[in-house]
Amino acid sequence: MINRFFLGIALLPAALYSRMGVNIKHLKAILKAKLVMDDRRPSSLQQTKQKTKNKSIKMATLFTMLMMALLGLFFNIPFFIVADPITQFTLYFSFFITILAFTIISDFTSVLIDIRDNYIILPKPVNDTTVLLSRLLHIVIHTSKLVISLNIAGIITVFLLKGFYGAAILIFLIPFATLFTIFLINALYILVLKITTPEKFKALINYFQIAFAILIFGVYQLVPRLIEKASLQAYAIPEKSWGILAPPYWFAAAWKVFYGGGSLYLIAVTILSILMPILSVWLVVKYLAPTFNQKLTLITGSDQGEQTIKTEHKGLAFKRKGLAEKLAALFTQKGSERMGFLFTWKMIGRSRDYKMKTFPSIGYLMVYFFVILFRNKDLLSTDKLRDSSNLGTKILLLTIIYMLGFTILQAMSNLKQSDKYKAAWIYFITPIQEPGNIISGAVKATIAIFFLPLAIALIILSVAFIGWNIIPNLLLGISNQLLICFFVAYISMREFPFARTATNKGTGFIRGLFSLIFPVTLGILHYFIYNFIPVVLLLALLSLIGTWLIAGSIKRRDWNSVQSEYRE
Amino acid sequence: MNPIIELKNVFKNYGDKQVLKGINLTINAGQIIGYIGSNGAGKSTTVKILCGLIADYEGTVTVAGINLSDNPIEAKRKIGYIPELAELYDVLTPMEFLSLMGELYDLPTDIATDRIIKMLTAFGLENNIHQRMDTFSKGMKQKVLIISGLLHNPDIIILDEPLSGLDANSVIIVKDLISKLAKDGKTIFYCSHMMDVVEKVSDRIIFINEGMVIADGSFLELQQQQGNESLEKIFALMTAKEGSNQAASAIMQAFDSQ
Repeated sequence: MINRFFLGIALLPAALYSRMGVNIKHLKAILKAKLVMDDRRPSSLQQTKQKTKNKSIKMATLFTMLMMALLGLFFNIPFFIVADPITQFTLYFSFFITILAFTIISDFTSVLIDIRDNYIILPKPVNDTTVLLSRLLHIVIHTSKLVISLNIAGIITVFLLKGFYGAAILIFLIPFATLFTIFLINALYILVLKITTPEKFKALINYFQIAFAILIFGVYQLVPRLIEKASLQAYAIPEKSWGILAPPYWFAAAWKVFYGGGSLYLIAVTILSILMPILSVWLVVKYLAPTFNQKLTLITGSDQGEQTIKTEHKGLAFKRKGLAEKLAALFTQKGSERMGFLFTWKMIGRSRDYKMKTFPSIGYLMVYFFVILFRNKDLLSTDKLRDSSNLGTKILLLTIIYMLGFTILQAMSNLKQSDKYKAAWIYFITPIQEPGNIISGAVKATIAIFFLPLAIALIILSVAFIGWNIIPNLLLGISNQLLICFFVAYISMREFPFARTATNKGTGFIRGLFSLIFPVTLGILHYFIYNFIPVVLLLALLSLIGTWLIAGSIKRRDWNSVQSEYRE
Repeated sequence: MNPIIELKNVFKNYGDKQVLKGINLTINAGQIIGYIGSNGAGKSTTVKILCGLIADYEGTVTVAGINLSDNPIEAKRKIGYIPELAELYDVLTPMEFLSLMGELYDLPTDIATDRIIKMLTAFGLENNIHQRMDTFSKGMKQKVLIISGLLHNPDIIILDEPLSGLDANSVIIVKDLISKLAKDGKTIFYCSHMMDVVEKVSDRIIFINEGMVIADGSFLELQQQQGNESLEKIFALMTAKEGSNQAASAIMQAFDSQ
């Protein structure tokens, strides 16, 4: 329905297209197929969820438009908490440009660099003008969907607060802001392709998708809490200041000038707001787009042939002990356990599927982490932190320590699944005596990647802000995290890493519940003994012994206790 | 007889690397050409030029009497291309994807729909017509690709490893289909590493190596030139820098370090 509407609008100037040499029947067929595919391709926000459910996506357009419209509601906050209109619209356009850029980069880049057109459309009797226009209109339709959804709430708000004229000016300025955003994206693509390889470009897009999902969640969680109405109410971006450097300020100034006039300076900035997008479009068409297309050929070509061979050769020639090998030597025994560690380390680092499932969840945890810190910012003064009798500080510290453990639980819960689960045949054709060694190596690699850096950061920050006396409690907290990790691994990791489909139900409800209750119980117990240092030290020792024993039983796991979907 | 495909002094460079070094070929209608070369020999580049995927080459390429550079659209109407990789828009259903192909070849909708159903049924995909292809196996996707190349009943069919991923029955269907299409006057340009298949289905075999045609003739003619060997052996004799036997020996020597 929505796609049909946009397709109808896009094909309104059909007569003009025909005069340009476009085959309308071909154009319509290509656009129709592309829009159907858009509807079935998950957006970044759906992608992180969809991967775990493995369901076919339908009506992604509607979902994306609704999500964008909801997100657009946040853009309206400045209209209610800031008095100065230029500041209001600077914030509005800042939100708009940022979210639009992130959405296009994370959701549409894969479409732009899709090489399948080369094999499917190009060998068909379709002329170049038709192919070119179909690409252009596809981008225009996609961008229009986002721009309309993101701004619908803003336009209504401005209409209600500033009247019809105010809303009309906003509608007039939005296309200019959009053009400028497209210029920024194109410039970013070129820059990234200049400093990195086409292969890494694809990986970077994945990270962008993850960052986007976290950004959206962060905005949703943090923005309402960060707003301090009283201090923002009177704030106004001063004229002739840093504002000129921020493109959103140009559009805000233009709105002010069109709405009710302004100083000569503001009029000059207004001219900038119109001229710069036009100039940027010229730059894109004349210089950036052709360069991008050349680079695109490299991206499409990088899937095969020489590039891969060169990389592999370099890898062989310059192979040296990296961090993974050093940590593996430190934490694992030689043989299958070390193999499990290194294999898991590499898979976590390279598997798009794993990253898309795990990193956003960890990012959300980090957002919660900051929400907790923000809510308790009164407790963050050095004096209060150093006062071990302060109840609030104690709870805050323990919450932080025990929350960090959830990151690794999250990481471990996705460790068993993979899109490439069929590759698990390697475990079954090789003469592995104790399969538990591989599972143990995998668990240790997950801890090394997801917990070790956080634990080190926590120790440094705690000692710096609280002092050395925090060490015993930190020791107990960290050893408890390790105990929790190995215990959860013991009850839930009965399979090899990356050896199960995402659709499999996996860990049962009771096991899952237990994985949640166990850390919370340990956290509460820790709270009660927090100030009894000898007890804390003794329990830390017991916790470490427990961890060592559980880790040992994971390693001893034999073939009878290893489950596998591959064998079923 | 007028040639249906003609390549005259075709050169192609990728940067400094010359991939095709003056290819000359004349192919008559109704022939089944087995086009063979090792990785990087220039096989795929030739195919991409013929299909209109690569336009910046030197030399002249004529398809059914049409100069490919002058009128690529008309030339493309004569060709059906079945690529090596299962490259298709797999979020579409076979019906949606093949209908798009029909539209792009300007086939009337009723004729296209009729052919799609008949061809999908012939390949045993009648129950998957409206199922999204992202759930399909490689072989099922390959079958859809084969249909997409034949849908408009082209004069020339270019197949790049068409049997990849197909089940045994489908392989037999495709082999029979190739013979029937040739009997019907179609020209088949068949690229493959599967020498035994090429040996059986082709009535003319062309070897390409390092961007040049190094042998061109029927299997019997090649056998007469190179001794009474299999196509596989002839290919190895003509193209391997070191004999295949030497390469195998080198692999065996790797065990000696233990």
